[in-house]
Amino acid sequence: MKTGSILAAAMALPGMLPSAHAQVTVPNATLIQFKYLYYRDYQDSGNRITVKSPALYLLAPISESWVFEIGAVYDSITGASPYYHTVLSGASGEGVEDKRAAGDITVTKYFGRTAISARAAYSTEDDYKSVAGGLTLRHATPDQNTTFTLGGGYSSDQISPADGPAFTRTKTTVDGIVGISQVLSKNDTAQVNLYYAQQRGYLTDPYKALYGVDQRPDKRDQMAALIRWNHYFEGLKASLRTSYRFYHDDWEINAHTGTVEWAQELPYGFTLTPSVRYTSQSAAFFYYDPVYDAALGPPFPPGYVNNPNGFYTSDQRLSAFGGITPGIKVAKSFVGGWSVDAKAEYYEQRADWRVGGDGSPGLQDFKAQLYQVGVSKKF
Amino acid sequence: MASHCQVRVYAPDESVAREWSDAAIAEVRRIESKYSRYRDDSVTAAINRAAGGAAIPVDAETAALLDFASALHAQSEGLFDLTSGVLRGAWDFKAQRVPSQEAIGKLLTHVGWSKVTWLAPTLRLDAGMEIDFGGIGKEYAADRAATLLMDLGARHGLVNLGGDVRIIGPHADGNAWKIAVQDPRGNPGATIAHLEVSHGAMATSGDYERYFESNGRRYSHLLDPRTGWPVEFWRSVSVVAPIAIAAGACATVAMLTPVDRALKFLDAQGVRYLAVDAVGHQHSK
Repeated sequence: MKTGSILAAAMALPGMLPSAHAQVTVPNATLIQFKYLYYRDYQDSGNRITVKSPALYLLAPISESWVFEIGAVYDSITGASPYYHTVLSGASGEGVEDKRAAGDITVTKYFGRTAISARAAYSTEDDYKSVAGGLTLRHATPDQNTTFTLGGGYSSDQISPADGPAFTRTKTTVDGIVGISQVLSKNDTAQVNLYYAQQRGYLTDPYKALYGVDQRPDKRDQMAALIRWNHYFEGLKASLRTSYRFYHDDWEINAHTGTVEWAQELPYGFTLTPSVRYTSQSAAFFYYDPVYDAALGPPFPPGYVNNPNGFYTSDQRLSAFGGITPGIKVAKSFVGGWSVDAKAEYYEQRADWRVGGDGSPGLQDFKAQLYQVGVSKKF
Repeated sequence: MASHCQVRVYAPDESVAREWSDAAIAEVRRIESKYSRYRDDSVTAAINRAAGGAAIPVDAETAALLDFASALHAQSEGLFDLTSGVLRGAWDFKAQRVPSQEAIGKLLTHVGWSKVTWLAPTLRLDAGMEIDFGGIGKEYAADRAATLLMDLGARHGLVNLGGDVRIIGPHADGNAWKIAVQDPRGNPGATIAHLEVSHGAMATSGDYERYFESNGRRYSHLLDPRTGWPVEFWRSVSVVAPIAIAAGACATVAMLTPVDRALKFLDAQGVRYLAVDAVGHQHSK
């Protein structure tokens, strides 16, 4: 008898397997996942924030059409955040120490090719409380080749700074998403998502406001558009995942982010995924460069005395910059539903890496490292 | 189809179950009427009518089936042959008569996939030749119907077309389906084993479906298309594979192959099986 796989020949027949990307389907297994994240960011002037964050996630189909998800995360945050621009708190090592606990619950009901999810989330730390909720509707066409997503959410946050004068302020966010995913061929999928969010209330950084100068508008309207294209290379057993995201808000920040990932299947159930992300953004209209008022000195921007109630920020995140994030992830799945993964990412942000090279001057480069390990089990 | 067929599926409610099973049954009927050799309006009949004439074009689905049959013919060294149905002209299982070698020899000149001109998408048969999708059609229909159910959202269930079974997924509680294997020498319904299958498919080929005995010898419908005579290596071969058409093809080829080589073949194909040889010994993996 000749060798050669009869199965391989049979798989070439049409309609032997369900659509490769069936998108609105009830998960048929319970999943428990644990992840541990370590993150630190730093500049030449010293370490900034370190976050250690264990997280637990459970997904459980509780009937033929109901699925229940629950997530819990605990962050411990230490370090120092700059008073203004990239000037850190004094050498005394005075810094932040905060704990954040957060949990969320999502319940999804499937009606054939339509799914409705309701999500509620709660997060609390010493100086911050957040309550959020949302609804998402997903619907797939009969061939499952096209999926529509429509979602909306609301969150209400309460800020009570731990240092300085006692006050409590609130912030609310209303957001929406509309999206479409399309299977283009057996090996290609594309996705377009549009996001819109309205933030209202206290959007200032209370600590920068205390030690530096930070006064922000009490409204921020944000929109983003995401385009994603994934291609599977059958011969190489690898997926190329690419995406581009455009972001715009009425603080006049425009950001462009491109991501490329290569997920390579390897023997023994290993997957190796190198990735790179590049982002470039313009500054908020009220960001001021580290050039200070001649009379008042730092952190006051020139002309501050004449306009003390104007909008100002020295937050590096609202400056103009370019950032590059190389990363690598390795995952292995085992028989019996176990899988483990580990991920490392490095981020570096520089003014002259902005598209065109004209980022905000006078800031130290900003760097971050992220490490994450995870283990999950499917039943 | 002239056999016991069932669609079993767990659905959110009865109306969905009805909608799903109607769709699955419609797909099976579509394939049956498209490829039945008993229907004048079928693709099979049109191809056979054109034998001896010009090459005729076929549709994409038929082309895929012909490609598969062609690959299977090569991999089985001619044991699987879409044109072997002509031999039915000599073997009349109702009359229970052993044909003459001369009669078989005459028909064999019209048997052989290698005599067919298959240049996708056109097919040409020599005069007197016929093709018959009976050897793969039922399994193909089971796969297509199950895939359709999965695309509609079904996650638990099976499609069983006369013992060729494609699983959609295990029972809703996660337990595997227990699929009975017919006792090849017992009464209909008597079983020798149950195979547990939660994903994939199972197909059985047996010498008990059509046969007669003459002068103490058993003549089954399992004809070696190269000689035109029945072979008697196995009473039955049941194969578990990811899809029914592959399971069925492996079972058919193994049935026509001597025991040692058949077991090697099944191992090489990476399938699970339960096979009962001519003297009743069971072989399984």
